[in-house]
Amino acid sequence: MSDQDLVVETVRDILSGFEPFALTAERRWDAGLWGALAEAGLTGVGLPEEAGGSGGELADAVAIVATVARGAGAVPVAEQLLVAGPALLAADLDVPSPEQPMTFAVADAVTVHPVDNGDGPGRFTLTGTVTDVAWAGVAAHVVVLAPAPAGIEGAVLALIDASGLPATDAFNLAGEPRGSLVLDEAPASGSLLTEAQAGEVRARYALARAVQLAAASEQVLAWTVQYAGERHQFGRPLGRFQAIQMELAEMAGEVTAVTALTDAAVQALDRGENVVLAAAAAKVRAGAAVEVVARLAHQVHGAIGFTQEHKLHHLTRRLWSWRDEAGSDLAWSRVLAGGLLADGPDGLWPAITRVV
Amino acid sequence: MTLAPAPASEAAEQVRAEVREFLAAELAAGSFQTHVDTWLSGVDPAFSKKLGERGWLGMTWPKEYGGHERSAMERYAVTEELLAAGAPVAAHWIADRQSGPNLLAYGTEKQRQEILPRIAAGECFFVIGMSEPDSGSDLASIRTRAVRDEAGDWVVNGAKVWTSNAHHSHYGIVLVRTSPSDSSNRHAGLSQLLIDLSLPGITINPIRILDGGHHFNEVVFEDVVVPGDMLLGEEGNGWHQVTAELAFERSGPERFLSTYPLVAEFGRRVAETGDPAAVATLGRLSARILALRQMSLRIAAALDRGELPNIPAALVKDVGTTFEGDVIEEIRRVVDVTPSLESPDPLGRALAEAQLHAPGYTLRGGTNEILRGIVARGLGLR
Repeated sequence: MSDQDLVVETVRDILSGFEPFALTAERRWDAGLWGALAEAGLTGVGLPEEAGGSGGELADAVAIVATVARGAGAVPVAEQLLVAGPALLAADLDVPSPEQPMTFAVADAVTVHPVDNGDGPGRFTLTGTVTDVAWAGVAAHVVVLAPAPAGIEGAVLALIDASGLPATDAFNLAGEPRGSLVLDEAPASGSLLTEAQAGEVRARYALARAVQLAAASEQVLAWTVQYAGERHQFGRPLGRFQAIQMELAEMAGEVTAVTALTDAAVQALDRGENVVLAAAAAKVRAGAAVEVVARLAHQVHGAIGFTQEHKLHHLTRRLWSWRDEAGSDLAWSRVLAGGLLADGPDGLWPAITRVV
Repeated sequence: MTLAPAPASEAAEQVRAEVREFLAAELAAGSFQTHVDTWLSGVDPAFSKKLGERGWLGMTWPKEYGGHERSAMERYAVTEELLAAGAPVAAHWIADRQSGPNLLAYGTEKQRQEILPRIAAGECFFVIGMSEPDSGSDLASIRTRAVRDEAGDWVVNGAKVWTSNAHHSHYGIVLVRTSPSDSSNRHAGLSQLLIDLSLPGITINPIRILDGGHHFNEVVFEDVVVPGDMLLGEEGNGWHQVTAELAFERSGPERFLSTYPLVAEFGRRVAETGDPAAVATLGRLSARILALRQMSLRIAAALDRGELPNIPAALVKDVGTTFEGDVIEEIRRVVDVTPSLESPDPLGRALAEAQLHAPGYTLRGGTNEILRGIVARGLGLR
């Protein structure tokens, strides 16, 4: 815990110079914040120095992602530090300079052709549309997970230079870019993955979103508790009313459940365990909490929280978006249930006790 | 309210496997049948004795008191397995969970020597003596009085209610007023007495719950003479002792697994039909169980470190017992099933049991409104 305190302090210091703003098509990310994080070496944390990163543990990378999420920083640290970077490393692919923003996307509708005959890391061309690309138009590189070429089992993890690719204008509920990239025989370095390995990459993406959801939920609770202490009505702070106390306590229960499970899933990943079911559970649980946390936060904040004049929307709009990204709630619920029943109808309980 | 992770424990996984094997054999032999909410309704002294013989009661207590000096993680694994199987654990549950630890913390050497080994053997059962006919959530308003007589014994008058399984139990740890109530400090003047339920002057009247089952009782004390050395802890320290007891009472896996046998039946149905909506529901319910397990495990580890995590414990009980009830509605929405205690379909039976016990989940051990008040205090609002 204390090992990460310094990382958190450093990120907080940097964030204090970059107030969150309402993202628009014209201003779709916080380039200044990214530059400051990159300058401090924080966009390469968790990636080994020999791969061009800054070194550090998974826990450090998670702390950065969580702190940036709390501050509603509009930068692709979750995608780069927790998904694209580690996935490239695991697939024995070169990692681009961490100073350039990199993102990750699942590209089920893309066709992959091998350029050489090798079946290890090699060259491929990719054709088709990659939809729902986080930070499309912002990221210089995109790591995509696409179906393997015809006749080959598994998937291909490929690194695409996205600097010259136009992205469509599509955004999530928080205004974060989620456009499509059209690939026309785009050249890529890539590596074949087994179906299991591809599943683990998808799970990493879900876990990254769960980390963001957990951190943002914690922050929304903290803001709401603070507001309830400051705002007076009927001659006393809102927090003195039992009705409000019940709502805040309900939020605290949800937040505690989400942070406990997400933390456990991150630790399992750190121990090198297969975290597909743990990540699925963390993502589903964190997503379920959004309904309660965002609803009650807005209820307690009243009308001011329903405006862009107050900061609350920076996080509640992200919560409503993130819960259905990196695989929807429905998709991960089914992955989790399917995995838990894999040993048959009587295997549910033993499976539950093995997840984390 | 971040909770530190619970330590990984190979010993816990080993004893978990042993309990699983034991339960499978007992089920196969027909020694018990799976039911919902068996830590309230599944009284079976013979089964409790078997657990005692295997060293699965009083697990964390010192060996000199009949305990086994095992870790909180091992005890957690055992209790969780028993609950998941819907095993009949009600007879010993309170004694093992909170009365024993309470005696360890506050009991005299004589009380510990006499009673703890019997609890660990699965031969001595306890009730909680807190609520009264006029004192539910407002526990500090209790009126059961204990007055010292010339011989130094306590003379007890009053009544306790919702006293689960008093008719099968040997002792109660009873919260009594030992000095007149003081409106400036409502928590002062309360004490805990260790009362042998076979003493003259005690009447146990059954109170039936919704399914007709007899678990609750009213326990009436009329000039009951309790030996002077049966005071538990310090005179006047009752409120503090009760509060400490509640952290154990509120954070265990029984606060989210009471209806697990229903989830297990639902899981079997989902495996059979593969209905996509039901599959997703099972995933969502499982994610909630997994989060609650982490919370509960982490609190067990904190209790083991000697911490008193009252606020997280209140959170577990609030979130967990809400889940226990939600299970019923979530399953009803995706499965065609009629709840009936006589149903030939085990899912219909489990649903009926869970439904008829449901009002209790969010009441017992402190209502969820009281718990949220405790959490609000932890958030700095009160």
